[in-house]
Amino acid sequence: MSKDERAGSRPDDEAGPLHGGPDEDYTPEQLATMDREELNRLGARYDGVEVLHVDPPPAPGSALEKQAERQVSLAFGIAGLFALAFAVVYFGSGWFLPTWQWGSDDNGWSAFYTPFIGVCMGGALLFLGVGMVLFVKKLLPHETAVQDKHDGSHFDRTTTAATLMGGVDRVGFPRRKMIGRSLGFAGGALGLVLIAPIGGLIKNPNKGNPLGTTEWAEGIRLVRLDGSPIRPGDQEPGSLETVFPAVPGGNLAADAATMLIRLRPEQMSRLQPRQGQSDFGYGDYVAYSKICTHAGCPVSLYEQETSRILCPCHQSQFDVIQGAKPVFGPATRPLPELPITLDDEGYFVARSDYIEAVGPTYWNRERI
Amino acid sequence: MSTTNPSSDAPTTEGRFAGLRARFGGRSAGSPASAARARRRSKQRRRMTNVAGLMAALVLTGVGYSAIAPANAADDAASGQSSAEAAGQALYERSCISCHGSNLQGVADRGPSLIGVGEASVYFQVHTGRMPLVRQEADAARKPPVFSDAEIEQLMAYVQANGGGPTLPSGDLRDGDLAEGGELFRLNCASCHNFVGEGGALSSGKAAPSLEDANDMEIYAAMLSGPENMPVFGDNQLSPEEKRSIIDYVQTLKEQADPGGAGIGRAGPVSEGLVIWVVGIGALLFGIFWMGTKA
Amino acid sequence: MATTITPNQPAPRISKAASEVDERLIVAGPLRRTLNKVFPDHWSFLLGEIALYSFVILLLSGTFLTFYYDPSLSETEYQGIYAPLRGIEMSRAYESSLGISFDVRGGLLIRQIHHWAALLFVASIVVHLLRIFFTGAFRKPRETNWGIGVVLLVLALLMGVTGYTLPDDLLSGTGLRIISAIILSIPVIGTWAHWAIFDGDFVGDVIIGRFYILHVLILPAVILALIALHLLLLIKQKHTQFPGPGRTEHNVVGNRLFPAFAGKATALFFIVFGLCAALGGLVQINPFWLWGPYNPAQVSAGSQPDWYIGFLDGSTRLFPAWDINLPGDYTIPALFWPTVVIAGLMFTLLALYPQIERKLTGDTASHHLLQRPRDVPVRTSIGAMALMFYGVLWLSGGNDLIADKFDISLNAMTWFGRIGCVVLPPIAYMVTYRICLGLQRHDREVLEHGIETGVIRRLPSGEFIEVHQPLGPVDEHGHGQLTYAGAPVPKRMNQVGGARRAIKGFFKPIEQPSDVELEAQRERRGLAAAEADREVTSGRPSEGGRPSEGGRPQDPRD
Repeated sequence: MSKDERAGSRPDDEAGPLHGGPDEDYTPEQLATMDREELNRLGARYDGVEVLHVDPPPAPGSALEKQAERQVSLAFGIAGLFALAFAVVYFGSGWFLPTWQWGSDDNGWSAFYTPFIGVCMGGALLFLGVGMVLFVKKLLPHETAVQDKHDGSHFDRTTTAATLMGGVDRVGFPRRKMIGRSLGFAGGALGLVLIAPIGGLIKNPNKGNPLGTTEWAEGIRLVRLDGSPIRPGDQEPGSLETVFPAVPGGNLAADAATMLIRLRPEQMSRLQPRQGQSDFGYGDYVAYSKICTHAGCPVSLYEQETSRILCPCHQSQFDVIQGAKPVFGPATRPLPELPITLDDEGYFVARSDYIEAVGPTYWNRERI
Repeated sequence: MSTTNPSSDAPTTEGRFAGLRARFGGRSAGSPASAARARRRSKQRRRMTNVAGLMAALVLTGVGYSAIAPANAADDAASGQSSAEAAGQALYERSCISCHGSNLQGVADRGPSLIGVGEASVYFQVHTGRMPLVRQEADAARKPPVFSDAEIEQLMAYVQANGGGPTLPSGDLRDGDLAEGGELFRLNCASCHNFVGEGGALSSGKAAPSLEDANDMEIYAAMLSGPENMPVFGDNQLSPEEKRSIIDYVQTLKEQADPGGAGIGRAGPVSEGLVIWVVGIGALLFGIFWMGTKA
Repeated sequence: MATTITPNQPAPRISKAASEVDERLIVAGPLRRTLNKVFPDHWSFLLGEIALYSFVILLLSGTFLTFYYDPSLSETEYQGIYAPLRGIEMSRAYESSLGISFDVRGGLLIRQIHHWAALLFVASIVVHLLRIFFTGAFRKPRETNWGIGVVLLVLALLMGVTGYTLPDDLLSGTGLRIISAIILSIPVIGTWAHWAIFDGDFVGDVIIGRFYILHVLILPAVILALIALHLLLLIKQKHTQFPGPGRTEHNVVGNRLFPAFAGKATALFFIVFGLCAALGGLVQINPFWLWGPYNPAQVSAGSQPDWYIGFLDGSTRLFPAWDINLPGDYTIPALFWPTVVIAGLMFTLLALYPQIERKLTGDTASHHLLQRPRDVPVRTSIGAMALMFYGVLWLSGGNDLIADKFDISLNAMTWFGRIGCVVLPPIAYMVTYRICLGLQRHDREVLEHGIETGVIRRLPSGEFIEVHQPLGPVDEHGHGQLTYAGAPVPKRMNQVGGARRAIKGFFKPIEQPSDVELEAQRERRGLAAAEADREVTSGRPSEGGRPSEGGRPQDPRD
């Protein structure tokens, strides 16, 4: 650093490690007499690093060096070729090459566009990395160095402690009780202000009992995905149809999807409905909520011979003959049953909403 | 049957009769050697008589049985069967009757009744090779079909005529709305067969099979007949048009390329996780072994 | 600083530019200190770097994706290029994701690179964590870094979940439904928490937008800050190292940062990037156009979350149907335990493990030397036990796919998981413990009796013995006097110079005729003369030996 020669400037103080290198021990003239390698080692030693051993690289001009250089250059060359191929295909597709846009019926160029540019990009980057590793391993000296670790300094600890505690003492909070209390009060109140926006997120989940109600209600027709209503003759015994309430947005409502199942005669003869729900079905039809009472997936795997409804997410199995009671797996509650009947025109309608909450269990499910 | 005794010649006619006379007539045999010869001859004679008598008895029994036994059902010309039905019946009685009964009524703990299953069900089960069943297990798996297409037609005719049930459609089975087919597939089918029809597990060892090998008609027939644990999708529930849409979607997806590279089974995150650990971490471990030291 | 140069000296030149910079910023000293930093170069120390580079790739590819993605749940009708979805109602989020995959040049590649890099990110964190755990690098003074690492792992999982939910497809939407159920299952506050997070009941209108902001802003910011802290601590405390010749608790032996270590580190970045790019092109990941848009009434068989959440899916499948019904008609749902509680317990135990081990072993000293896993059999066995437990849960997360592909009953797979996750871990503990003890005994046996050379000699008395090569001075009974010092014990003759110079070359031998001749000459002249040329040293630094070699001849240059 050029010396400041104006009047009033002070020379550098006694320097510790944080204040730059030991310029007073090594003058510029001294340093100028050392070659690059010696300066390298000098600096390293100053940083606590001792270079123990250097395994030299292949001799300059030797066959081994030339071979290593060829290998490294080959790797970089391959990387470059891959990158060029990437550029050509990436930009050229749709221009002088077939289009890159894949319509679902394409099995040609566009279907291989992504794999091709992926391989090119990957190859380019990979060979660049490989070339660098080869360079380091084959052409650089293998150096083994040791660096000392600093332990904590007792001087540092004591002086820092003194500085800290001195400052704390000067501030004097333990003494100044009134300031302390008023600051605590201000801090607490300000904390409330800061977290208030998060409080704005809080909404009451019990208001209106949204978890316990769905779009179903008395007189709402059961409709298919396309909106058409359902007659009792529409399904064969041993069938399952997903039905929705005939309200706007009914097919997208998260909790309203219902399974309308027509039982086979063998199943009807063994039917054991849940207590108080023997009249919820209509003839050989029963309607159960499609939303699993375990974690909310649509249950939907109906095994018509074993009468089991299997949920694909965690393999809960519900027995449709026993009121969709869980017989295996992690579910604890039966699927809620929708009470159904026919309306004047002979289409299926609900008699009311589900009489219990649909979907997974929660803390106060039984209380609502 | 000649003896090994070199002195024994083939008995002369006279010697033969001599033996017989010796047995049935008086004792006109002379030396012990000739008596032995005569005894051997009579043993042969006895054997041949026995065999002849046995054969006669068998023939008589067979003729008697066929006269007395009840007439074969196939001979019942009074039912007015077509030749296809007749051939189908013959096939049925050769391969299916032991589990499904002589009148399609089924046999307890072996096979269900085929009354009302229709030709659709027969086509599905036999064309996919599920029937004839190899053994009773959780569910029947697809295997190479045993019967030819013509034989399947005959079985279909027989079962349809004697039990009724859903019939197969005709025409282009992919003539539907591709996107609507997708929606219907995801709503009704994906929960068992997976989002592209790769198949999925059911409870207790059963499985919904992959649709990889299924042709259009098999898919249609399966929807119509509801084989084993699959629910039945009657034509009032999924109209023929909707069924065609679903088939169009499934078959289109099967032929569709994977634009992002290897599809790895289209099975979801499980295979993706396998790839990242085996290929990704594996390759990188190899790389860092190479780059670093091992000491 | 321009200096006058005496001619004919190899002179250190400082360029004008460098001087200008240093006059303003005074960086020469810190720069030299950084360049001279020594890093040990064992291969297992590179695992954390893989995680770091995956994160960089995620940042780069993710930024590209944000230019095209629309985090909105408003419904729209698709009229784009992918025919099987044309006319279908879907959210804008799903539609924009389809746009990235089909309507942006190279978009599918970048999206797949992003997803593969995400899987790699978590996988490499886990492998890195296992290395730290099994070598004891988390002990004092590095407990904080371990804690930061565990937090980074949890944040990486959250990043993954918020990320794969963004396309709003059938698979991730099903996962979102399960997340909703998990939040609902929290006792007392569950429904309130759900209403706060989803702004109402499932699905609501805001959840994708909130996940988006978490995924691109909040979580990456926290992760970047923690990574910076993690690396800062690593640099400050210096990297640990395995015990070996010349290595103590008060030094670090290895390569200096520049140019060797930096070169290899940069190379590893390109290799990781190249691998992600190759995977992104060659192997399809999350083909959400096949899954279809999310619909609460639809689900696919074989639905799983990404692999790093698989263990929670497994625990959810296995946990029995045990609701706790409290008086007053309150319920603690069964879903609460295998999700919130198990995850909370596992990660808390993991984060506090350094303190737990410290309590149990009473070891309060600072450690900078690593331990070989065999030398701490209790910790290694605990780790094996934990891995076995995790593994059973992970496997059970895919039990329906396994049941389908391998013709196993699904119910049987569930029972296997339920029983296995309790019975198998203790077995893993016991087996690992015995293996560790066996390995330890073998180390000490070789130290005492030397290396088995495989050379059989018949003594004049008729007895056959195997010749052993001692590793050091022996006492009058022929037993070695070296004590085990935590470093790997050589167990083969070529590890102590008992073999010829190794053949150079990785795929093909590089025969240097001149070298082979020289070698033959040296052997003819006798070993003593050869030693003068070869570099068999005692390994002591003061004698110019190389501690990392510790008496072995030079490694081949490749």
